[in-house]
Amino acid sequence: MIQSVPYSWPFDGNLTLQNTALIVIDMQTDFCGYGGYVDKMGYDLSLTRAPIEPIKNLLKEVRELGLFVIHTREGHRPDLTDLPANKVWRSKNIGAGIGDPGPCGKILIRGEPGWEIIPELAPLASECLIDKPGKGSFYATDLDMILRTKGIRNLILTGITTDVCVHTTMRDANDRGYECLLLEDCTGATDYGNYLASLKMIQMQGGVFGAVANSLQLIEGLKTLSI
Amino acid sequence: MKIIQARPYDFQLQLESCALVVIDMQRDFVESGGFGEALGNDVSILQDIVPTVVQLLAIWRELSGLVIHTREVHLPDLSNCPPAKIRRGNLTTKIGDPGPMGRLLIAGEYGSEIIEPLLPLSGEVVIDKPGKGAFYNTDLGKILNERGITQLMIVGVTTEVCLQTTMREANDRGFDCLLIEDATASYFPEFKQSTIEMIVAQGGIVGWTTPLSNLIQGLAN
Repeated sequence: MIQSVPYSWPFDGNLTLQNTALIVIDMQTDFCGYGGYVDKMGYDLSLTRAPIEPIKNLLKEVRELGLFVIHTREGHRPDLTDLPANKVWRSKNIGAGIGDPGPCGKILIRGEPGWEIIPELAPLASECLIDKPGKGSFYATDLDMILRTKGIRNLILTGITTDVCVHTTMRDANDRGYECLLLEDCTGATDYGNYLASLKMIQMQGGVFGAVANSLQLIEGLKTLSI
Repeated sequence: MKIIQARPYDFQLQLESCALVVIDMQRDFVESGGFGEALGNDVSILQDIVPTVVQLLAIWRELSGLVIHTREVHLPDLSNCPPAKIRRGNLTTKIGDPGPMGRLLIAGEYGSEIIEPLLPLSGEVVIDKPGKGAFYNTDLGKILNERGITQLMIVGVTTEVCLQTTMREANDRGFDCLLIEDATASYFPEFKQSTIEMIVAQGGIVGWTTPLSNLIQGLAN
């Protein structure tokens, strides 16, 4: 069991290295790198960069344990055929149009430098990559199929941003019956208030979307499994 | 709007909101040494439709219609391939095993690519799908919605497996679907015929079917 709030995770104690996966959401230059989408929108990058070191350390630990790791990337096809009109309109409104050229290539477009996962957290060849056109990691992707094929039922969530892609993915997963844990030191939002509110929303109603812990609590708990 | 003579009744084709979907015209299904042959099939029967699909594709590109190509492929680590699918058929050469054209049904392998005469052009949409239907676990539905597509013209292989699954998925999602009869094939000709009958039964319960010649004639009017 992992020490977490509002309950020890997972709910039934059914935690193994085989039925559990770590998902690292959208740690792309566009969201936490200089010259990327979030930077261009004018937000304080230190907030979305804060989880980089904790995730780096976490990846090192879970790779040694052999845990299944999934990385997601938000991005659109170069021809923008999967880009909703309202999404591009909103992005242009804030001065960072999706598909427009920026310092890191076309914003949020697959294959562009800004869309890549930051080098510190680069996926290993053996790890799973999910390219998603939306905020949630399940919509229009094969994530659910991969998790079911692998027999995964516990999901550990990390990445950015807490209130947008991480929360949408956690809610999607929760509705599908996955048991979710968010690591508070391994996530960040473009607004600190939204980050705190996101953590709190999870803990309402006895853990309406799952539980919250930090990466040290998780690592400690996982290590007791392997011995 | 173009009126296309079809079964069970005329199809009202709206060019600006119709997409052509070319299903799984991959070496693995159409050429020797691929997955289709590993399953014990005669692939030549699929090759017979290639000129018709080429002709239709040229017509549709000329009209600047949206073209979607699908490929049935799995990730190299097979993480999106259900074990039941791998086990099925008790084959000596299974999905993911090496064959003359690379690993069977694996993304990036030579055999998984679309055959030369039907290669997608840049700007055309390519959908990699892990199952038989082109909607399940893909972004096809989203792309069609973004493009305002409400009608699908469906061709490719094989008629009763991937094509029919896709057509049924599309039908349930509210698309009007037209099958071009001579631009689809099955390893089992009787299954192709049965599929056509199933589609047009009960007033077109799954959609419409017509030969390419009727489409060409309707477009000319």
